[in-house]
Amino acid sequence: MSSNSLSFWEDSGNGRTGIMAWLTTTDHKRIGLMYMYVILAMFIAGLCLGLAIRLELIAPGRTIMDAQTYNTVFTLHGVIMIFIVVIPSIPAAIGNLVLPIQLGAEDVAFPRLNLFSWYLYIGGTILALVSLFTGGGAPDTGWTFYVPFSEFTTTNVSVAVIAVFILGFSSILTGLNFITTIHRLRAPGMTWTKIPLFTWSLYATGWIQVLATPVLGITVLLIFAERVLGVGLFDPNKGGDPILYQHLFWIYSHPAVYIMILPAMGVVSDIIPVFARKPIFGYKTIAFSSLMIAFAGSLVWAHHMFTSGMSDTAVLIFSLLTFVVAIPSAIKVFNWTATLYKGSITVDPPLLYALGFIFLFSVGGLTGLILGSAGTDIHVHDTYFVVSHFHYVIFGGTGFGMFAAAHYWLPKYYGRMYNKTVAKVAFYILFIGFNLLYFPLFIIGLEGMPRRYYDYLPQYQEGHVISTVGSWILAVGVIIMLVNLIRGFTKGEKLKGRNPWGAATLEWTIPTPPPLLNFDKEPDTSRKPYDFQGVTPDE
Amino acid sequence: MDATLIDAVSKVDTAFKFIFGVSFVILFLITAVTLYFLFRYSKKRNPVPAQIEGNLVAEIIWIVVPCIIVGAMFWYGWVGYKALREAPANSYEVKCTARMWSWKFEYPNGKTSDKLYVPADTPIKVDLTSVDVIHSFYVAAFRVKMDTVPGMHTYVWFNSGEPAEYEIQCAEYCGVRHAYMLSKVVVVPKEEFDKWLNASAAAEVPDEGEELLKKHGCFDCHTTDGTDLVGPSFKGIYGRDTVVVENGKEKTVKADDMYLEKSITQPAADIVKGYEDMMPPFELTKEELGKIIGYFKGGGKPTAKLGAKGAEIAEREGCTGCHSVDGSELVGPSFKGLMDRKTAVTKDGKKMEVTANVEYIISSIKHPSEYVVEGYEPSMPEYGQLSDDDIKALIEYISTLK
Repeated sequence: MSSNSLSFWEDSGNGRTGIMAWLTTTDHKRIGLMYMYVILAMFIAGLCLGLAIRLELIAPGRTIMDAQTYNTVFTLHGVIMIFIVVIPSIPAAIGNLVLPIQLGAEDVAFPRLNLFSWYLYIGGTILALVSLFTGGGAPDTGWTFYVPFSEFTTTNVSVAVIAVFILGFSSILTGLNFITTIHRLRAPGMTWTKIPLFTWSLYATGWIQVLATPVLGITVLLIFAERVLGVGLFDPNKGGDPILYQHLFWIYSHPAVYIMILPAMGVVSDIIPVFARKPIFGYKTIAFSSLMIAFAGSLVWAHHMFTSGMSDTAVLIFSLLTFVVAIPSAIKVFNWTATLYKGSITVDPPLLYALGFIFLFSVGGLTGLILGSAGTDIHVHDTYFVVSHFHYVIFGGTGFGMFAAAHYWLPKYYGRMYNKTVAKVAFYILFIGFNLLYFPLFIIGLEGMPRRYYDYLPQYQEGHVISTVGSWILAVGVIIMLVNLIRGFTKGEKLKGRNPWGAATLEWTIPTPPPLLNFDKEPDTSRKPYDFQGVTPDE
Repeated sequence: MDATLIDAVSKVDTAFKFIFGVSFVILFLITAVTLYFLFRYSKKRNPVPAQIEGNLVAEIIWIVVPCIIVGAMFWYGWVGYKALREAPANSYEVKCTARMWSWKFEYPNGKTSDKLYVPADTPIKVDLTSVDVIHSFYVAAFRVKMDTVPGMHTYVWFNSGEPAEYEIQCAEYCGVRHAYMLSKVVVVPKEEFDKWLNASAAAEVPDEGEELLKKHGCFDCHTTDGTDLVGPSFKGIYGRDTVVVENGKEKTVKADDMYLEKSITQPAADIVKGYEDMMPPFELTKEELGKIIGYFKGGGKPTAKLGAKGAEIAEREGCTGCHSVDGSELVGPSFKGLMDRKTAVTKDGKKMEVTANVEYIISSIKHPSEYVVEGYEPSMPEYGQLSDDDIKALIEYISTLK
């Protein structure tokens, strides 16, 4: 048996065994999995915090925790979910697993930098956890760290913002690595118009990570300087400007939303053609729209600030630009739907989750139009309408995109298949729970229920009760889905063939599970990524 | 009034209806078409897929049409926004100061309140600022929301409409009592508003004993400041040892309830030494006498009134947003039983015990971070702008909360 027939599970490539083989690995597949395990653990933690929030809000007044605890819980839910789970979820975990192979490369361009990024991610995560239990208690500012409140609060904000700073560097380096890999390590014949759309979306994402994240780094360092040195950049008592902070924060944090959603769009673009057995509709338009979203999405940050007191001229400009960025997203949705036209469709779990993405993302995107329109935004800004919109986009979008990606790609890497029927049942429970959880929040938001409220006026209770019940159904769906995946990947039926779904991209042409060095023969780049003629599923 | 002023709310609602309407149609079409394709082009019904890589015409259509649609959405939204921003020149202006965690409204004549009272059918412009962190003034009924930013002035305007009450909620997260930073817009008929605006503060409403004394002209002969007029001053009259002349004989009596009652109903019976027998008898009911004597008991100043003034200040300045008056724990220590309480505090990092006397409470109001009570956060802003009279009234109020 040549070493090439050993999978990356068996061949660590660095001469070490056991846990050290993983902790010192430079293999993109192992690093991807290491990201995934930490993300999964933190996702469960964030989910529990979210369930606690919902339980507290089932009735007005105190239910299970006091106001200060509630404030730290929603802050942690936000910080964990955004900086530790969603931002690295698809790019760092799935991206690491898939991107080099889709390009026909053996690894990313800078494998050791890739491992270093993971250590930064772990360091930032640990520091974020440390901030909970040390100093003046867990941060209570919300994930946005708005000044002057974040300067005044005695909780442990200084440590938390340093954690965010470190996590930001992990994201920058991953983006840089992917961009370089796409430019430099494509296999011969892998032209730009043959790159699968998932990798295209990571290319657009990479540019946002590299260009926007440094602004976040600077911003959180400035908060640190404000708190520790009292520099006075944002504190009006010292001649500073609190609105300036909001600009700096959103210059990163709005594009960050596209860091979260673009890779999920890439996942959906890769999955739909496979299960429709038909080329993607308008490949170039979808690839180009990713770049358009990355570009235009960088110019809309101040639509988070229509009520901040900035000028009407700024409101006019940012409202208009926000509507511009809606166009490429809409194009993608239409192209995905058109891909199904005259296909030969099998509704396997990956497609089901991808279709879930399209519906939930559409709801999130269309309600985003209410927020982009200046007059209507004033009413629903900082209400539960925004909370619901955001969760439809990020949980319904990126979350379901991640679930779709897990059901689509992970069997390839574990070499085993999960139970497809259970996966579908889990999807329907998740989908119902999701809509019960978040849809009522649109209604109470329109009725004027502000976000980040520990207690509320009695007229909003009905919506809160339905939402909390929905959160329990959603939790059941998540548990069934995760248990089914974990059971499948440890005890499920072994995959014999290379290509269980009959896909046409390069990762399905190599052995299952992949060997340490991805390709056992020269990658064949003659086939277009969505040309399924002559490709049959090989389970 | 100009009819165009009334419809800022309706212009915003038009934008809502337009965007929701179009969005619903788009969502319905996408979902219906997807479900139809899943059914019609399932592997069973359509075993051989078509090879279509795209269609330029279709793509141009679904690029151009959405551009037009979102252009229209933008326009409706902008029209609504402009209506919310263009306050009429004749708006009635109220100043609002937000602080953790209450609202203070100041009217053109200097009167302040913790609820926003406004006259009906009038455009109202609220000038907004904050003394500590960012808050946001949100009245859902009027579709207005604007952040209150420290060091900066922002505004909202709305048309008050019919008399009614509307909720004010803080919409920008501001700390532990954020969800309780609530108030109301109280729209009242114009005449009622003017009456309310010009009425002196509740604290200055005289008590009933004083009213009776005024009514009967008692103050024409008796002062409340200790100076002598025709008769002895009311100042400190109750319980005073008084030398009287009874039937030509001098004797010292204590001015108790009985003596005072008799002095009013039969003034000639005992004449205070040094004064003429000039006072006519007054026919008063037992109840009225009780009220007057109650007034005397306060040393010529009713005690209940000071507590009431302090209570009003505590409410107006937002003290009770963090300090309860019934002993329950909010953000800060309760006012109940605060006076002369032995309190464990931290000063400059050192722990010590102090007695909450008047000096301590004054310093805690003016410089809250100097002594921080154990178990509490140093989150209270400085209330240096309170006048000494206000602080005195507050302390008297606190001392009544036993």
